[in-house]
Amino acid sequence: MQIISLEGVSKIYPMPFGEVVALNNVSLTIEEGDFIAIMGPSGSGKSTLLNMVGSLDVPTEGKLYINGVDVGTLSDDELTDLRRDTIGFIFQQFNLIPLLTVRENVEYPYILKYRKRDTAGRCDELLKCMGLTENLSHHKPNELSGGQQQRVAIARALVNDPKILLCDEPTGNLDSKTGTQVMELLKNLNGKGKTIIMVTHDTQIAEYAKRTITIADGEIQ
Amino acid sequence: MNPGIFFEFAKRSVRLHWLRSLLAVIGIVIGVAAIASMGMLGNSLVLSISESLSDVGDAIVIYSHGGISQGPSSTTVNDKITQRMLKDIIRASGSNDVIPIYNTADQIEVGSDDGIATVYGLETQDLSLLLDLEEGQFLKSSAGALAGSRIAEEYDLKVGSRVKLGDENLRIVGILEERGMGFDINPDSALIVTDKFFSSTYDQEDYNFVIVKVRDINDIEYVKDAINTKMNRKDDVVDVFDTKAILETILDTFGQISTFTTAIGGISLVVAGVSIFNIQMMSVTERIKEIGIIRSIGTKKNEVLKMFLYEAIILGLFGAIVGALFSFLAGYAVLMVMLNSTEFLFEPSTLVYIPYGMIFGVVTSLVSGFYPAWKAANLNPIEALRYE
Repeated sequence: MQIISLEGVSKIYPMPFGEVVALNNVSLTIEEGDFIAIMGPSGSGKSTLLNMVGSLDVPTEGKLYINGVDVGTLSDDELTDLRRDTIGFIFQQFNLIPLLTVRENVEYPYILKYRKRDTAGRCDELLKCMGLTENLSHHKPNELSGGQQQRVAIARALVNDPKILLCDEPTGNLDSKTGTQVMELLKNLNGKGKTIIMVTHDTQIAEYAKRTITIADGEIQ
Repeated sequence: MNPGIFFEFAKRSVRLHWLRSLLAVIGIVIGVAAIASMGMLGNSLVLSISESLSDVGDAIVIYSHGGISQGPSSTTVNDKITQRMLKDIIRASGSNDVIPIYNTADQIEVGSDDGIATVYGLETQDLSLLLDLEEGQFLKSSAGALAGSRIAEEYDLKVGSRVKLGDENLRIVGILEERGMGFDINPDSALIVTDKFFSSTYDQEDYNFVIVKVRDINDIEYVKDAINTKMNRKDDVVDVFDTKAILETILDTFGQISTFTTAIGGISLVVAGVSIFNIQMMSVTERIKEIGIIRSIGTKKNEVLKMFLYEAIILGLFGAIVGALFSFLAGYAVLMVMLNSTEFLFEPSTLVYIPYGMIFGVVTSLVSGFYPAWKAANLNPIEALRYE
């Protein structure tokens, strides 16, 4: 089943010195359960593509369907709901919320979705799956190591049970050992049916993916 | 809805930046305290004045306009109401009571004490129209006098006491109730004698002024106009004042003064608003990345807006509550200094300035916090995420 499909998608940014074409007529379909690595030099348009797929951005031209929905027709609030319910984000910088504790970081998207605190123990269970101990969950994110923070971020991305995980250089700020651990976790999640789309520079990391897409000058090679 | 998490964000952000939050709160405290205590002071002043002015809203007081009239053989200063003018006044006043009054000051002696007292001369049938008795009875004959409450206290006068007024001996037949300051007569520190006694003792035929007591307060303008038309047709012969208008003018003036001082308090609240605006802008700028994160993982625009508005409300509410306490203390202190009494502090019409001040404080914080919150909510999530 197709979970993401791009049909002739272009993204054009108007700039003072002229238009910048970040994506040029890109067509791509991603099946549910796929694991895709997107590679390419900086400025190639891979971040733009990731933002599109993450429904943070909408195409200037063409159609983009996420989980069967044409995102071009959605309002800002509907796009936000789509991100909250269907997509889990994993960033290079981990991007945990500094004001919240580890457990609250994981719980936050859950509260956004269900409008109540998690009393079923889902957050604790996820943290445990990520190999994080109970006593860590009351710490603030900046008291954790990089590898721990990234595992918290993965737990957060999973809390609303999204179909798609978007990873932007997930190992970019980790040493190779913890990077490998994180990639094993992602591979594991893909094995359980999550669709994973990952942007990376690292060819070794890209080998975890089932399929690699190379992008340059806004076009898929 | 569960606003809890957004309120929690706001609370933690305020706590994290406690110093600058504290400074902003101090601004609001000063603003709220200034507005509320100034309002309380103004209201207490008005209350204390309206209390000390007796409620004589129904009287018209007529004085001679004065001026010099040149007769064939003499030149006199017309500063009194003549019998003929009195007749005109009676005619113009219709069925309302017209009370002509003699007024002077003279030396009095009570035992070994002596001093100067105001003396009023009234016709015996008019006494009960203007005055109320505390004890004793109203005057019936020329040999007696009534004493005002304050003079009675000062000279320890009782019914039956003897007073020497000028060269005449008088017996006190009644003590008057305290009346407060008035615009017609001020009997509290005066002796009241009969018109006959007055005119024979001081050899005075013409009256010092005339009071018209209006039966229906709504007629006051009408009676005033009637007197003016009748008597001031060509030249101004008499000056006509109505006590209600005088009272209103005074209260208006005090109202304006207190509005002015409250407005000065308002300026400090504007300054506080600017500082809230400033720290909220700082808070938003510092947290651009965080806003990008929470937007990307599913926080809606209006939820971000709420989060930052809560911050402003927390600051405003804190400031308003502390400011309310301070304004009570400040109001107490100012009233102690200005009026030597805090009895009007606990009047509802005075205390109501505390919630007024608080509402102003919270609204100021909300208004100042709105633009930064709106800005935070409308950040582009992609750019916010990329922000370092």
